Amino acid sequence: MIYLNNIDKYYDSKFQRTFVLKAIKLEVKEGEFVSIMGPSGSGKSTLLNIIGLLDAPSAGEYSLYDKSVLDLKEKAKVDYHRNFMGFIFQAYHLIEEMTVYENIETPLIYKGVKSKDRQAMVADLLDRFNMVAKKDLFPQQLSGGQQQLVGIARAIIGKPKLLLADEPTGNLHSLQGEMIMETLKTLNDEGMTIIQVTHNEKFAEYGKRIIRLEDGIIRKDIAGNTKFASIVK
Amino acid sequence: MIKHFLTNILRNVRHNKVFTFINLTNLVVGFAVFILFSVVVNYELDYDKFNTNYDQIYRVQTRQEDSYPTNFCTYSPAAFRYHLMADVPEVEQVLLMREVSGGAKGSGQFFTLPDGSQLYELNGYWSENSIFDIFTITLKEGNKSNALTEPGTIAISETLSKKLFPEGNALGKQVTVGKRFPVTVSAVYADFPQNSNLKATYLVSMATYPVLSGEQAYGENWTNISFDNYILLKKGADPKLVDAKIKDVFKNVKNFEKSSPYLHPLSKLHISPNSQPDVIVGLGIISLAAILVLVLASVNYVNLSLANSTQRSKEIGIKKVIGSSKKLIASQFLSETILHTLAATILALFVAQASFPLLNRILNRNIDFSIWGNGQLLIFILLVSLLVGVLSGLYPALVISAYNPVKVLKGKIFSNGGNSFSIKKVLVAAQFSISLFMLIVSFILFNHVNFILNKDLGFDNKNILYTEINPRDKMKFETVKTRMLQHPEIAGISFSSTIPFIGNIGGYVTWQGAAPDEKEMISRNYVNYDFIPTYNLKMAYGRNFSKEYPADNKGCIINETALKVFGWSDPIGKQIYLEGKPFSVVGVVKDFHPFSVHNPIPTYIMFLNNNVISGSTLLSVRFTGDEQKARSLITGELVTIFPNDPFEFKDFSVAFYLDDAIPFWQSMKRMFMFFAVVTLVISTIGLFGLILFTVKRRTKEIGVRKVLGSSVGSIYWQLSTEVIGMLGFAILVGCPGAAYIYKTMPGAYKEPLTASVFIIGIVLIAIIAQLTISFHVLKVAVSNPVEALRYE
Ligand SMILES: Nc1ncnc2c1ncn2[C@@H]1O[C@H](COP(=O)(O)OP(=O)(O)OP(=O)(O)O)[C@@H](O)[C@H]1O
Ligand SMILES: [Mg+2]
Repeated sequence: MIYLNNIDKYYDSKFQRTFVLKAIKLEVKEGEFVSIMGPSGSGKSTLLNIIGLLDAPSAGEYSLYDKSVLDLKEKAKVDYHRNFMGFIFQAYHLIEEMTVYENIETPLIYKGVKSKDRQAMVADLLDRFNMVAKKDLFPQQLSGGQQQLVGIARAIIGKPKLLLADEPTGNLHSLQGEMIMETLKTLNDEGMTIIQVTHNEKFAEYGKRIIRLEDGIIRKDIAGNTKFASIVK
Repeated sequence: MIKHFLTNILRNVRHNKVFTFINLTNLVVGFAVFILFSVVVNYELDYDKFNTNYDQIYRVQTRQEDSYPTNFCTYSPAAFRYHLMADVPEVEQVLLMREVSGGAKGSGQFFTLPDGSQLYELNGYWSENSIFDIFTITLKEGNKSNALTEPGTIAISETLSKKLFPEGNALGKQVTVGKRFPVTVSAVYADFPQNSNLKATYLVSMATYPVLSGEQAYGENWTNISFDNYILLKKGADPKLVDAKIKDVFKNVKNFEKSSPYLHPLSKLHISPNSQPDVIVGLGIISLAAILVLVLASVNYVNLSLANSTQRSKEIGIKKVIGSSKKLIASQFLSETILHTLAATILALFVAQASFPLLNRILNRNIDFSIWGNGQLLIFILLVSLLVGVLSGLYPALVISAYNPVKVLKGKIFSNGGNSFSIKKVLVAAQFSISLFMLIVSFILFNHVNFILNKDLGFDNKNILYTEINPRDKMKFETVKTRMLQHPEIAGISFSSTIPFIGNIGGYVTWQGAAPDEKEMISRNYVNYDFIPTYNLKMAYGRNFSKEYPADNKGCIINETALKVFGWSDPIGKQIYLEGKPFSVVGVVKDFHPFSVHNPIPTYIMFLNNNVISGSTLLSVRFTGDEQKARSLITGELVTIFPNDPFEFKDFSVAFYLDDAIPFWQSMKRMFMFFAVVTLVISTIGLFGLILFTVKRRTKEIGVRKVLGSSVGSIYWQLSTEVIGMLGFAILVGCPGAAYIYKTMPGAYKEPLTASVFIIGIVLIAIIAQLTISFHVLKVAVSNPVEALRYE
């Protein structure tokens, strides 16, 4: 599904070129749950943003379902965001002026889903996440864990194939974090492909595959539960 | 989607109350000013349009090669009327009119009420019956076909009818014009609308004119240029052609060589009565100022939106990530702006309607206007509002929709906003330049009004009552004088054909020592022996007219300006020639102001009258002590002397203040003050927005500084230095602009320009700028630095 080959990302300053990502080679199959780990500044978020088409690589190949997604037109990009992938952030990034309900509903509006269908879909998700009572509250009125649940709900309401999560539990207590991870796991079990960035070893184990990034280079790519490790240079 | 947009916009309003409030205030002020002045311009341009023959009505005016101060005169000779119809076939109807008051300014006509009391009415005309065919007039009583055909008939307005005949049914009743001319009411017409150039309160049939004036042959008079000639052209007639034809017909008339007729369309009678562009220029300036204010407000809107967008960047970043396209974000923003402007426009309409009294005061007008009743104007305003909404929403919409979501979500977007910030600085600096300019100009005008009100007129304008009188029977002045002077309250009395500020008689003279072709346009006055002492005029050389010198009836007194023009070193005994007759100079009076103070002092010559009051004359009385007492005293005396003639004493100093020039300048002053305040409000909002932008951009930096122990003072200083640059710019632009206005300000006499007007203006702007900064700095100072640092 995802195919990255020799992806570089660098920033040029006056005297030198600083590499954030170097020669990244990564393939992710449909239904995988990948955890990306690594020290701060190693390029995890950058990699995730490139995969999420929010940032462009400086060099390399990137294709989704064997179709190159480099140099995509704005319209095509928006299309991927609407229909193919969803995002979850460490800082939740809910829209503060909107209620829980509206936050979850918004991606559907962008997708052009009819009002009636929207209502049903949002109601379903609220129900599933046990948030029906909270639907008219604003984000500030929720706990961190609840906010992140809304974030997840918003990310998956459009039934994306791919879920990208950048430290989804970073701001949460471990208990709330665990709840979030359980939710992600369930989603993965239902067939959603997930790539998450995390600093937490335990939460990384939820993934079926763990990638360790150091200085912009993939140091390890381990299939989590199978204990199989392959070292990628 | 629309519902989504709307809830979004409403949520944003709720979330950014301060921003919304400031921004709406800004737009409401901008729009209200724009609406008000659109109404004024619209009102002025709509003058006379109620006439169904609007496009076919022309006034035949007179161009005079040798008149002052303009070559164009709205009046024309009565002879036009009889030759227009006969000689120009394109003319469908002609109308000859004349102001009944004629004579001195401010004089009107008296009507005697049944109880013997006098009613004073302005704006009466002699008129032919064709007025009903040419102008659109509604008759309440009477018949249009013959209302003004017979001598001794009068048509009166509804208002006058109510005054004269409160019991109604005026038709056929008798009215006494003055104290002795009975005329019969032949029609009552609905009052002319407010926006009519012609606002006759009553019309006396032209056929009455020769009877009352004694001018039997007025119809062949080419030199008395004091009539109004209107014509109605046939449908489809080319006015240019008619104009040429009329010029041709009147080319070879004797005594009319220096004058020529021209057609002046009804559409221009109000905005440019004597073919001078004054009103049009005035309207142009007003339109420009109004548009400028609206542009300034729109610029503020753009700035404030961009400043606020820092706050909203996160929202926009998120929306992009979850699948909103650039186009959607841009259109959301645009519709938000349009909604803001529409809301502001609707509020502004109410504000504008409520501000009409203020506007009338500023403009010295009495416009009674309902914005709601004028669909065309409303549509125009809404279109402008849409345009402003689109124009001022477009730029922020494009900027904001182009935000890179990754950067925005990291809070990094504004680290390199330096360039756009300096554009904003320039815009705010431009706003301050304009308001500084307006402020200084209004201070200059303020000084100027005081100056002309307090200027030494060269004569004593206090304690004088005057009246125009036109007695039926001749009366020796000495009789009047003796009776008046019995009272110790009366210090002096004189009579003359004009008095300062009231009336002017022109003419040409040549003088001893003049070159063969040389002549001088003068203002002349026929005075009696007492004129100079009554007005306390001072002699520079020679003496006043005196009964001891019988030859004084061939003498004259000139003013200092005349002395300079004639170039004499020893004026006494020198000759001047008026209409061929010689007069020798007996004295030179020190220059005084016969006209409004902003006019130059003319070449002025006084001739001695025969000391007998006959015809229309101005009586001036100098009194001591209480004005009311003096007024009743002299009125009582005059009633017994002239039992058959109406008159009313007026206070000279009131006449002085009513002089056109004074209200004009006062209105100019108010207008500039108004615009100064408006632009000041708008530029303060502009500065507020700019600083808000800076502060938002630097919230983190300021927070860090505070945590690190930096004083609030240094933040304050940093903001101040930024503003000082803009102030400097404003000073460089605003001050020379204002000085230029001073230089081009019309008027022969101006107070020298002082530094204080500039200093006060600059200091005021500086204080306002400082207050704006202080507000923000205080807000930052009391805020918790941790708050600013919480989000990375
Ligand atoms: N615009 C930029 N210019 C230069 N360097 C940049 C820019 N944006 C990011 N970087 C650098 O790229 C590197 C990788 O950043 P990235 O956010 O991907 O790290 P990360 O692995 O997600 O770290 P963390 O765990 O702290 O979130 C950092 O060293 C950062 O300084
Ligand atoms: Mg990161």
